[in-house]
Amino acid sequence: MLIENLGGNVMGTIPLGDIVLYLNPLHIFLFVTILVFTALIAISRTETQVESMFGSLDENKVSVGKKEFKQRRFLSVICGIATAGAMITGDLFNFTLFMALIGIVNIGIVSAVKQVDVLNSAYQYGLIAMMCGLPLFGGAAMILAATGTLSLFELASIPASPMMIFGALVMLIGVCGESGIAPFFASKAEMFRTPGSPFILIIHLSSLFIIVRFVEILLTIL
Amino acid sequence: MVASIVPQFVPAFYSSMYTTALYGGLIVAFIGLIGIAMEKRDIQVLILTDIVGLAMLIVVAAVGTDLSEALILPGLVVELAEIMAISEILISREMRKKDVHTSFAPMPLNIDMEIMTTAPNFIALLLIGYGVFLSGFTGGAVAGGGIVIYVLSRKVRGLPIVVLDGVGAISGISWCLWIIGFLFFFILPQYWLLSLFLAALGLLLKVASKIGLIGILMREEYGRK
Repeated sequence: MLIENLGGNVMGTIPLGDIVLYLNPLHIFLFVTILVFTALIAISRTETQVESMFGSLDENKVSVGKKEFKQRRFLSVICGIATAGAMITGDLFNFTLFMALIGIVNIGIVSAVKQVDVLNSAYQYGLIAMMCGLPLFGGAAMILAATGTLSLFELASIPASPMMIFGALVMLIGVCGESGIAPFFASKAEMFRTPGSPFILIIHLSSLFIIVRFVEILLTIL
Repeated sequence: MVASIVPQFVPAFYSSMYTTALYGGLIVAFIGLIGIAMEKRDIQVLILTDIVGLAMLIVVAAVGTDLSEALILPGLVVELAEIMAISEILISREMRKKDVHTSFAPMPLNIDMEIMTTAPNFIALLLIGYGVFLSGFTGGAVAGGGIVIYVLSRKVRGLPIVVLDGVGAISGISWCLWIIGFLFFFILPQYWLLSLFLAALGLLLKVASKIGLIGILMREEYGRK
């Protein structure tokens, strides 16, 4: 598919040597949205989770300590910046790296919680993320082997070969696993059951944005 | 790999190896996944997951261009970072389950070996001397091993260990030496020998002090309990 058709007209390119960034309205919209959300969580405070006790009228408050709060906010901001980078990048290589960074930071955000079951699901998610490093990087390497480039701008003009389609599908599996969507969702959903919103929300938001961007990349290069 | 994008000077034998290497990587990953499916202990699953990560390196390395090398390095770093993060989660989960603050010293406490009491200082000196002679990254590793043996032997014999608080600073300063040496290569190429030695010795000091830090961290881990 021609690059101009998807996500509006190309507004221009930013040539930085090998890496050619290109801007179109979809990318800019996603980029600005995630940056605004990152700025919001950078200045916000964490919530206190209130659980009602069973069989009585008491309630159980779970709050987040200051040290844990600071660490979590830092990692959330990193996650937001990495997602923003994945939105604007014009290079499959950079997209892969941002995706891997988001995977690590997602584990880091919940690594300091006190609930054992949340840690358990974070462990499961981490295993899936590590295993999906194979299709993620492997798919990018297959596309590189089939075309000789990883620049999206050039991949868009190269007609798709069977090898390239296979590489792109393998990479789709990798992105699904690293961001923890549909087939791998069960372990990641448990990770949210901890106090610390809105920082926890960036885990969810980053995977949504990544999928939107990756579908756009798939449609562009195939 | 598509034949049209492979340069002419690459022998046909090498470009035909790509499919073999790709299948090899996928088979290694499959073996690792079978292991993960059969194993039930968490720590074993984590170690087996690393096999899948290694298979990723094989698949990327099969392409064999400089761009794929650029993809390998971050891939390796990502795998290491993830395995460290997950093992950290595993440790904190086990600590929460037991609800005690156990010491996670990586060494057995009782090292009853003759080598630790006969001539450890000589061995340490030999290793440090050989490391300085080697210089560079390898030398740093060897010299650092010497420092670790020295600290360990004093610990085993029950002698007090001198606390070197400035070891981290040595590491930082020698890092600067390396950077300066690297810059000299570009701005003053006629002093290449000086910059080579700056880089080699800086790296030696840096790696040696980093490995020496491991010994000191171990000692702190003992002191905590």
